[in-house]
Amino acid sequence: MARSRESEMNGAPPHILVVDDGITMRMFYRSVLEAAGFMVEEATNGMEGYEKVLAQPFDLMIVDINMPKMDGYSMIRTIRNDPAVRMIPAVVVSTEAAAKDSARALEAGANFYLVKPVAPEDLTEVVRMIVGVAA
Amino acid sequence: MVLVKAGGQRTLVLAEPSRDPAVLLADLSAAEPSVRRAAARDLAPHPEAAMALCDRLEVEASPSVRAVLLTSLIHLQSPTVAMRLASLLRSDDVPLRNAAIEALQEMPDAVAPHLRDLLADEDSDVRIFAVNILGALRHGQAPQWLTDVVRSDPHINVCAAAVDGLAEIGGPETLIDLEALRRRYEGNPFMEFAIDAAMRRIRGH
Amino acid sequence: MAALFATRQKDPSPAMTDEEYAKFCEFFYRKTGIQFQAGKKYFVDRRVADRIEKTCSESFRDYFTMVRFQVTGEELQFLVNAMTVNETYFFREDYQFDALIGGILPEVARSKRRNEPIRIWSIPCSSGEEPYSIAISILERWSQADSWNIEISASDIDSKILHEARTGLFGERSVSRVSAQLRSKYFLPRPDGSFQICDELRESIDFSLVNVVNPLHTHRFRDIDVIFCRNLLIYFDDVGRRETVEMFFDALSPGGFVCLGHSESMSRMSSIFLPRKFGETIVYQKPLSAE
Repeated sequence: MARSRESEMNGAPPHILVVDDGITMRMFYRSVLEAAGFMVEEATNGMEGYEKVLAQPFDLMIVDINMPKMDGYSMIRTIRNDPAVRMIPAVVVSTEAAAKDSARALEAGANFYLVKPVAPEDLTEVVRMIVGVAA
Repeated sequence: MVLVKAGGQRTLVLAEPSRDPAVLLADLSAAEPSVRRAAARDLAPHPEAAMALCDRLEVEASPSVRAVLLTSLIHLQSPTVAMRLASLLRSDDVPLRNAAIEALQEMPDAVAPHLRDLLADEDSDVRIFAVNILGALRHGQAPQWLTDVVRSDPHINVCAAAVDGLAEIGGPETLIDLEALRRRYEGNPFMEFAIDAAMRRIRGH
Repeated sequence: MAALFATRQKDPSPAMTDEEYAKFCEFFYRKTGIQFQAGKKYFVDRRVADRIEKTCSESFRDYFTMVRFQVTGEELQFLVNAMTVNETYFFREDYQFDALIGGILPEVARSKRRNEPIRIWSIPCSSGEEPYSIAISILERWSQADSWNIEISASDIDSKILHEARTGLFGERSVSRVSAQLRSKYFLPRPDGSFQICDELRESIDFSLVNVVNPLHTHRFRDIDVIFCRNLLIYFDDVGRRETVEMFFDALSPGGFVCLGHSESMSRMSSIFLPRKFGETIVYQKPLSAE
């Protein structure tokens, strides 16, 4: 799972984009991930998420499925089709029944699938594994 | 000089003041997306076309035509239109159901009569979508309905969505129910965090 | 009365607590796409305080409830007016002209037949600074300019301001970012200190009165390659925005672009365009194929 991280070059902490239309969800991600030493940027739907990905480099994105304007699957698919940013790993987080939709998430290009509500330790563990930093 | 004045040489396309609704209805299934978009847009003043627009929405594959169909349905909003859109919340087509949620948020009076049923749906995801609609609905009753969800819905993610809505539109009268919910989910880090955040926002400090 | 006066003179206490401010910003962002930068709290707070006073609201909470639930959205409109500074000048937000010259036009040119003109639409054009800036940028900086016919249309809903745009008289402030060299090339200085744009430019731009939500006005705009629509949609409600960007979709050629103002994002309005990055700026593209 080792990857070359965008932030590794300049020694900055890994940069995580969280994309969710729920405000408390975004606050939760921020709180957990900042406590674990990551830098967090937020977007409120998939299209805004894609714009942020175009604007600055990220080491990982955490993406909700059901969002206005652009849903999570469409966002990840769009990013996987854009040569400039296609490599960013993606974790999908959703409420939907895991079996059916994890297949769908992987098909869209997600690397991992988490089911809400997410436990803080699961979140940090998955994020650490993907961006390749030790606890 | 490379700049060329536009108006003078462009063939002016004169807009027909009002096109025959029967032609427009036929155009809804034309092969060209631009023709379907124009038909969907021009049917916006025709309430009798609302069901035809709903029918088309269910089979329409082009995102831009879908967008225009929904905009026209927002103009033609009625409890019947809202019911047709609400049935899309069960759709497997993720962009379509999210677009339906956005359109329903624009029709408070039309969707209000259906919210009770949606909030009682046996599928917890449909209840979450109903809560999402409420969170952005310009309707004076919205905070009360969200409070009812927090009080009675058995599913954690439905309650979490309602907490989220209350963080945005809840008043101090909802605090007591949020406190009760916090006791219900004691020990769940996400729920504790979300409820505390919502209560802080509602208290305004 | 004297006491009241004295109270008013004091540094006013804030209208919003920090949490209320955060809540307000989230709401305002969701409704308008306008995001306040850090350090803007005083600016926002003073304007909200003013609206609280003008609407005779008891408190921020009362005022905020009204803004959120008012069916007409009228108060939100007042807030938007209060929060936006409506000024225009030559080469405003010029990073977008950089994107136009450096990325958008070359891309448009690649997929266009030589005998077809490149069409640009500036709406709202206000007193004309934007379409004239576009024209000057192309003439001065785009190396392929000589190989193409370029049509610039400019529209506004305000007939008085359109008249000003056609007349092309600008004050010192408006041309402050225009270099001396460009001033002498495209403007005639007038005895009263104002600047008259040259007739060649004035006559090359097609000015027209357009209300974007009136299909009879917008119907003739077709096969446009680039639309500049900056700081207009923030004044519209959600449905007005949907209708306007859907109208843009029909006005554009496949692969055509929309440029919005720097605080505006299509991600709050519609999903039918795709964000594209040119240099430091994000613009929105109508998909080339698959409609």
